[in-house]
Amino acid sequence: MELFKNFYEGFVFVYGCTMLFMYALLAMLSLRGIIRYQRKNSYVDYNKLLQSPMAPGISIIAPAFNESVTIIQNVRSLLTLNYSKFEVIIVNDGSTDDTLEKLINEFELQQVDFAYNERIKSQPVKRLFKSTNSAYDKLVVVDKVNGKSKADASNAGINAAAFDYFLCTDVDCIIEKDTLLRMIKPFMDEDHKKIKEVGEPCPECGYIHVVEDSTRVIATGATLRLANSCEIDEGVITRVRPPSQLLPRFQEMEYIRAYVLGKMGWSLINCVPNVSGGLGLFDKEIAIKAGGYDSKSFAEDMDIVTRMCTYMIDNKLKYAIRYIPTTQCWTEGPPNMKVFSRQRTRWGRGLAEIVTIHRKVIFNPRYKQLGLVVLPYNLLFEFLAPIIEVTGIFYYIYLIITGQINWPYALILLLFVYLYSIMITTMAIWWDHITYRYYKTWREVIGLALMAFIEPLIYHPLIVFFALRGYYFFLIGKKHSWGNMQRQGFGQKKKVQTA
Amino acid sequence: MSKILLVEDDEVMPKIMERILHREEYQIDHVTNGKEAFAKLEETNFGYDLIITDIMMPYANGFEILSKVKNRPDAKPIPVIIVSNAGNEDMILEGFKLGADDFLKKPVIPGELLIRVKRLLMQYR
Amino acid sequence: MFSESFSVLFHDFRYAPLIIQIALIFIVIAVVATLLAYLSILVARFRGYRNDKRLSKLQPLIDQLLIEHILMNESLNDPNLLPEQVQLPIEVFDQPVFQKKWARQAMIDRLINFRKNVRGAMGDQIRNLYVQLELDKETLKKMKSGKWEKKVQALYEFTSMDMSIADVTILPLTNSRNRELRAAARHAYIKLSKNEPFKFFDVATEPLLEWDQVELFKIISTTEHIAIPNFAQWITYSSNKSIVSFCLKLIVHYNQLSAVPAVVKLLNTKDHYLRADAINCLGKLKTETVEEKLVYMYDSQPLLCQLEILKALGRISSGKYIDFLRQEFLHATDFEVRKHAAKSIINNQWAAKGLVQELVDTATSENKLILKHSMNPLIKY
Repeated sequence: MELFKNFYEGFVFVYGCTMLFMYALLAMLSLRGIIRYQRKNSYVDYNKLLQSPMAPGISIIAPAFNESVTIIQNVRSLLTLNYSKFEVIIVNDGSTDDTLEKLINEFELQQVDFAYNERIKSQPVKRLFKSTNSAYDKLVVVDKVNGKSKADASNAGINAAAFDYFLCTDVDCIIEKDTLLRMIKPFMDEDHKKIKEVGEPCPECGYIHVVEDSTRVIATGATLRLANSCEIDEGVITRVRPPSQLLPRFQEMEYIRAYVLGKMGWSLINCVPNVSGGLGLFDKEIAIKAGGYDSKSFAEDMDIVTRMCTYMIDNKLKYAIRYIPTTQCWTEGPPNMKVFSRQRTRWGRGLAEIVTIHRKVIFNPRYKQLGLVVLPYNLLFEFLAPIIEVTGIFYYIYLIITGQINWPYALILLLFVYLYSIMITTMAIWWDHITYRYYKTWREVIGLALMAFIEPLIYHPLIVFFALRGYYFFLIGKKHSWGNMQRQGFGQKKKVQTA
Repeated sequence: MSKILLVEDDEVMPKIMERILHREEYQIDHVTNGKEAFAKLEETNFGYDLIITDIMMPYANGFEILSKVKNRPDAKPIPVIIVSNAGNEDMILEGFKLGADDFLKKPVIPGELLIRVKRLLMQYR
Repeated sequence: MFSESFSVLFHDFRYAPLIIQIALIFIVIAVVATLLAYLSILVARFRGYRNDKRLSKLQPLIDQLLIEHILMNESLNDPNLLPEQVQLPIEVFDQPVFQKKWARQAMIDRLINFRKNVRGAMGDQIRNLYVQLELDKETLKKMKSGKWEKKVQALYEFTSMDMSIADVTILPLTNSRNRELRAAARHAYIKLSKNEPFKFFDVATEPLLEWDQVELFKIISTTEHIAIPNFAQWITYSSNKSIVSFCLKLIVHYNQLSAVPAVVKLLNTKDHYLRADAINCLGKLKTETVEEKLVYMYDSQPLLCQLEILKALGRISSGKYIDFLRQEFLHATDFEVRKHAAKSIINNQWAAKGLVQELVDTATSENKLILKHSMNPLIKY
């Protein structure tokens, strides 16, 4: 018993320290990344890309399921993004309301004979529409049989996409005007893009024969924030505000920490674990070769990124996934406990799925940073963390009951973890401020930053609980009820109030 | 006196325009996005002699404004000039396909703009 | 009393287990860091707010002075003087605020912004003002700074203002180890160098990134008074493939038909990507004479080049190879091949009136769909 106790305590100590060390490391890395990004962007003129005939084409793919209330203004906002060569593909995933009819009427759509190439399997596509008004000629609407998942709809969108890159988003996400310009840039200026030349110049052609040795950027992501309390006018954000409700406000803080501090840091050492389903720009060729989205997955965004990476490594290709620190997308977070619990349980289940599906890659040195850093980190510090935390609590309870606890020491340790977590969160908000002052008043910032003090007491236990619930459902293989997230409808609420 | 609707989200351009197109001859209404442009057009019942618009703006882009202005059967036609810094070939062609009368890339030559404005106003008189 | 309790605390700390010691140290670190973060956020906010406020006051002033006294000043339009000889009434800018560094920087930024909107005589006057207010000295200061980002900013300001820079200042920077600086220096060199703007095409060994190509293209295609060379020379002699591929795009842009023989030679390169670029270029130049060779080499090509050949036949649209396109459309297995064959058939249909109808009537349902897709004017790609 004593041996076990020592072993357990030692393990938890090492585990905890490693985790805290990782956070500190990420914070430092992301700070470097952000400062570098800011320096470069102080003089980058994105308009040059806007004018250039060399701008790569981008297909925006946005699945829609029963979005009748907001569909028109959201499509409009997608169509007015600043970019010269793009198309907007709305995938109507078998909506049962009048989403499709609204689109047809508003944008003067007409059914067309479209050479749809089903490179990724999805539920059957019924019809495709284009606008007869050439002011809307960037719009493509795909009408398909409901596939019960965003992944299935996205796959249909990828099949219909004309360009080499696709931006995956949700129809209810509000995207900044310059998003395409900013997110395509990492694809175009990968620092390590090199071509290895082998041997003497060839007598026939005069060129030194080459091996493609360039790092190919396969995906980029950017920061997401919550739109819950922002002022929105017909799909355009007019005033950024942190959510006023408690639950969404916690999420905003969590998002800033996860993106600005987490993913930005990982991006610097090319170990980005996933690109959010809300906003991600992908290399279409690689995404298709990796098999597209898995419509049965509970974490399809992380799954596709992992498979794309695996594909690259299996084919001995160098790759990179990049993040930019600026906020490019506002999404509506679950406003109440019911929806929130469903979302987080799903995430927990998805994570459990990822670490089991890709178990052959974990700790496999052949898969380099993916096998040795990304997936092990996710297994040890994302997947196992809730489990270890709960065992820790039980251990504490055991110690208290048996009277073996050293109260001063226990409290000091607790205080340490508590203050450390506050520090990390506050730093994330600080880093975020380096990129842009999103909030208008200092009150709003402090209001958000103070959430860090109550997070460990309220929000964190919830997350742990829902994650464990997700693992449990994964173990017993419970059928998931797919409920689509209930949208409040941007801007609608306010209209009702004023009416 | 000619009434001109200027749709432009950049703040420098309108200031320059106001100076190029003298106050005595032209009355310029300036709006900064597609939504305001539509509102202005509705409100005045398309009562403008010329529209100068950028392409990329919030709410509705220049092409939409163009298509709306040009697709009014039995109404007095209004000339439209696109002035934009997004000027790759495809966009220029698209603009003309939708019926734009002129396409000027930024930076513009003030004299040229003035002459084109005058000529279009003459043509459509 | 205080020192006593402190020593007790210190004693406790020294004899506490290692874990607790570490924890205590980190508690202090965490508290300090958190406070620091709060402080930094507030300071950053305050500074940002102050800057915004200052700028929002200053910018209208700059605009008003600039428009009133410079751009709209009829007396400055003296046809007998070169634009740079006109003496501007700069005394109106003789206000205390313009002595300050931030205000001078704001002025530079604003002038650049104006030059993005107008050129011609007004553009020249803005440049004049920049020189006569000695704002170029501010830029030069940045140029001499040790920080690369300052140098890049200075280069940006000089190029925006069309100021010449001495070759000795800029040439060393074109080989800088810092990629950003190197790229910026090259762009500036092309735009501002009087003698040989394209010199670095000869010497550059590292690849031009796509983004650099966008910037270069913009500079080359918008700079006035730049002597456009015959890009065929680099197609033939350069061993830097990204430069060759970039020159192919420039050849298309400037429609340099004289470069065709050099591009045709490039068809023999072993590099598939480069060959595809060459085929693309020939198609866009509508080189009818090369069609035969393209069709001849078609079977031995990888998919990427085959697609480019099909597209080229569509662009050239000579009508001579419509049978070849028909064969490919009917018998190829790859979807993309059939799609591009179909598109090119449509582009060539003036030469074989009945063919399209015949194909629509006889093709398989999928092929029919592809044809209809290609014929539909609503679908661009």
